[in-house]
Amino acid sequence: MQILAEAEDLPKTANIRTQLISLWSVPIFGAILLVAFAAFPGFFPPMSPDMPANQVAAFYRDNEAMIRFSMITFNLCGIMLLPMFMVIVVQMKRMATQSHAFAYCYLTAAVSGATLFALADIFYLTAAFRPDRNPELVMLLNDMAWIIFIAPVGAIVAMNLLLAAAIYFDNGPNPVFPRWVGHYALATAVAMAPAVGAAIFRTGPLAWDGGVSFWLRNGAFALFVAVMFFVLRGVLQRQAVDEGVAR
Amino acid sequence: MSSAVSTESAARPVDPGARPAGKRDVWIVFWIVPAFYTAFGIIFFALARVMPPPRPDVTTDQMAHFFHAHATTIQIGFGILVLIVGGAGVANGIVVYHIKRMTVGSVLGYAYMGSLAVGALPGCLLVAFCFLTAVYRPDRDPQLLALLYDLGLLSYVGSLGCFTTAWFAFAIAILYDRNQIFPKWLAYVTVWQIVTEILAIPVFVSKAGPFAWNGSIAFWVGTVVFGFWLSCLIVFLKKANDLQPADEAPLP
Repeated sequence: MQILAEAEDLPKTANIRTQLISLWSVPIFGAILLVAFAAFPGFFPPMSPDMPANQVAAFYRDNEAMIRFSMITFNLCGIMLLPMFMVIVVQMKRMATQSHAFAYCYLTAAVSGATLFALADIFYLTAAFRPDRNPELVMLLNDMAWIIFIAPVGAIVAMNLLLAAAIYFDNGPNPVFPRWVGHYALATAVAMAPAVGAAIFRTGPLAWDGGVSFWLRNGAFALFVAVMFFVLRGVLQRQAVDEGVAR
Repeated sequence: MSSAVSTESAARPVDPGARPAGKRDVWIVFWIVPAFYTAFGIIFFALARVMPPPRPDVTTDQMAHFFHAHATTIQIGFGILVLIVGGAGVANGIVVYHIKRMTVGSVLGYAYMGSLAVGALPGCLLVAFCFLTAVYRPDRDPQLLALLYDLGLLSYVGSLGCFTTAWFAFAIAILYDRNQIFPKWLAYVTVWQIVTEILAIPVFVSKAGPFAWNGSIAFWVGTVVFGFWLSCLIVFLKKANDLQPADEAPLP
């Protein structure tokens, strides 16, 4: 985006710039998170919930270094995706044809969802911290790690429903988002919702290592973040042009 | 910058360039509040058996038996809760929205939002994860089931501060507001919510009696006051929606 020279020092220019910085945290930290994901020894294939306790303990004992590398990276960089969701909040608040109740609900749900995203890695790291613990205890930590990592999709489901509703109601002459983004947000919510089954089922596609709970859920989320990066880049470009900040 | 200052008042004039906000979105969000709390009540009372809470003064085997006896309903109830918990964000967001319409500035609305967004984890999700983990493997060592029992119930009944902060912000906002978004007496009901959080402090110490986590004072007084407060809140949220002018400009 080319910022106009005469708009260089205006507050509205800074508003665009800070959103761009928040947005560009996605490719940088998204790439780091993909590396952390690929590095976790228990994701390819995902660990089976049917592993007996002594095998779970052995997994943490044998893979200490990579588990730590992967989960410390998640810990440090996972919440760096939050600024992008805050760009979505700011853009929802630009919608002229509604009250912004959706935006505040979205913001509240985003914060709650982030607390859970920030929690799961601690359980993996605690299990890896003293793998010589009683295997029953390592398995308990492992269960909680997986359940808290995979199952709590309620926040993102609500966020995407709110985003979709806001986009559908933003039916003035200058909508902030293209309308297909609403359909896409809905589809992502539908794809991620069944992953709550990870807290209940120990076998099949809904178990935490299953096709639906693990691959569809994580794939849909990663794709959503990537797609929203490009969507928001376009949205910010339009905002900058509308406000006379760029051309 | 002048626009940012003038928008602090909720009775702001409509910008002639902006289309009216309409109220459909506020109504949709509003109806999620009773829907969510109805589901919440069914889940916690009828399915997960967390309300009224099972006793703290039982043996390890009795705690394990609690999980064995209620495994299926815990899975159904808390599975649904984990899926719909975003509704709590919506229920809190609509209150934030109306606090922002008051004449009290944004700070209390943001404090309400922040404290409740954090409170969702200790206040309702941690017990769900503890109970779901407990019934995930029924053959787990009963000592571990007992640990999850204590952790879940202490977290659920004993998460005090997030809610105290939220009620504090809400009460102050109502009292200082001149737009009459909510009646003043709702602030005093909200103050009683703070009192009930303080009455629940002994749950971390007391294993039986009125101050235990299932006790008449620590649990039941708080639950009855919360139920009354929530009913009032829903009624007055509806009223606030009704009274909001349809052509009010979007919030800043």
